[in-house]
Amino acid sequence: MPEQRLGTGLFTALRQINYGEGALLLAYAWFCWLMWEITRQYIPWNDDVAFLRIKQEYMGLAYYRQAFFVHVYASIICLPAGFTQFSPGLLKRAPRWHRVSGRIYAFVAVFLAGPSGFVIGLHANGGPTSQLAFCLLAILWVYCTLKGWHTARKGDIKAHRNWMIRSFALALSAITLRAWKVGLVAAFHPRPMDVYRIVAWLGWVLNLLIAEWIIRRRVFINANK
Amino acid sequence: MLTLVLLFGLALLTACGSPASSSDPNSDASAITPFDTLAPLPPERKKESTAATRVHPEAIGSYAGAFEAAEYDENADFVYANKITIFIDSFNVTTAFGHSVVAGNLRSFSGPYKEVKEGLEITGKEPGDDRYDGVFTFVLNSEAGLLKGTWKANNNKLPVTGRTYELKYRRFAYNPNLDLPEDVLWDALYEKHAEYAGEGEFLTQDVFKYNPSKEALTRQQVENMYKGDLEVMRNAIYARHGYSFKNRKMRFIFDRYVEWYMPVSTDIRGDLTPLEKKNIDLMKRYEEHADRYYDVFGR
Repeated sequence: MPEQRLGTGLFTALRQINYGEGALLLAYAWFCWLMWEITRQYIPWNDDVAFLRIKQEYMGLAYYRQAFFVHVYASIICLPAGFTQFSPGLLKRAPRWHRVSGRIYAFVAVFLAGPSGFVIGLHANGGPTSQLAFCLLAILWVYCTLKGWHTARKGDIKAHRNWMIRSFALALSAITLRAWKVGLVAAFHPRPMDVYRIVAWLGWVLNLLIAEWIIRRRVFINANK
Repeated sequence: MLTLVLLFGLALLTACGSPASSSDPNSDASAITPFDTLAPLPPERKKESTAATRVHPEAIGSYAGAFEAAEYDENADFVYANKITIFIDSFNVTTAFGHSVVAGNLRSFSGPYKEVKEGLEITGKEPGDDRYDGVFTFVLNSEAGLLKGTWKANNNKLPVTGRTYELKYRRFAYNPNLDLPEDVLWDALYEKHAEYAGEGEFLTQDVFKYNPSKEALTRQQVENMYKGDLEVMRNAIYARHGYSFKNRKMRFIFDRYVEWYMPVSTDIRGDLTPLEKKNIDLMKRYEEHADRYYDVFGR
């Protein structure tokens, strides 16, 4: 019975988690919860709350409004993938989890969260500097996710893994850019829009560099085995 | 922080609730005095009333300056000096009528007066239905444009039970061209519950950048400004209209460092120009956003 295998596989994979991974997963869970708290501000639908209080000049644009809410409601769906997709144990013992969760992630990123991120990026606070950052982020995210999808379908697992590491690194920018903001504000008390422009880039460029390092390191380790 | 903003909003709202406070003291001060000297009087009192209207017309006017604590509880939390405006509104044969505006309070007073060497000595009692009511005793020298005296609280358990003042004659006029002086940068912004001593929030040069009573602000102009600068810039609009601040944070700035500031009213909502209203709305959005989200996880 596939359902049964699904459950026992998950359980075995969970038991194999070591302390380091456990701490990482807990930290990730905490950040996911923070993201959920942000999303919750827009439930029920309200276009004059939170961030939107300072975006009122765009609220008249139907496409901006729609893109914003698609982005807010859809993006959160991408986060659970972080729990399931990078566990070799789970992939081995319950590959269906990996496939189902991966399909949801890829579909949402490519068709909902990515394109809507691009549209709201066009009107990002902070002018051309941050607009370029967010639009580029959206394009790269959709591109890496599409590549990861296609390589999986072709059965090129190595390429699939590398593209998906990149894709998820970019998805994580939702968390890292906000974390950078908290850190920079606490350390330097910068002007609100200065910090926004900085994290618009810092939030994903550094992630992408780390992703490349992870990919290359693995290639290097494998080559030396 | 959020509570401060909320409290200020609340103070504004409650201050606006009083019908008396909507009067412009310069054009129609008599609206809040209980005795209207210009109203027609019965014939038998006519002589008296003509005499009354002639009583010290030179003394009618407004006098502004510091209202300084003289008798106080050293351990209590109080403000040593507030800016006050005392309005001398009218006289009849026996009584002087006036009102004072200080720290977000507009209170009428009335009482006997007599001529003394320096001018007129007036004893003005506040109605007594407010916790902070008391009695003004001052000598008004209208020739020198000086009003000097004391104030005693009715309730001797208040943190400050006596104050002194030397006020100068000053006429209020709204002027959108008034700018904030450099002096506002001297002190940290007042925080009721400062977490650490010396961790105060200071204003920056940004606060002088724009005059929202004169020019329409854009999102781009305000989005990169610190919340403190925006808050003072916005409150400068109210200050130009003579709004008396209840909120200590603003009072400390405008009472201490802004010479042109003169408190004359506790409700200036009706006086705001459409331009000012638009700018206030824009600045407030950014202030509220910064207040809630500047240092937390989010945008």
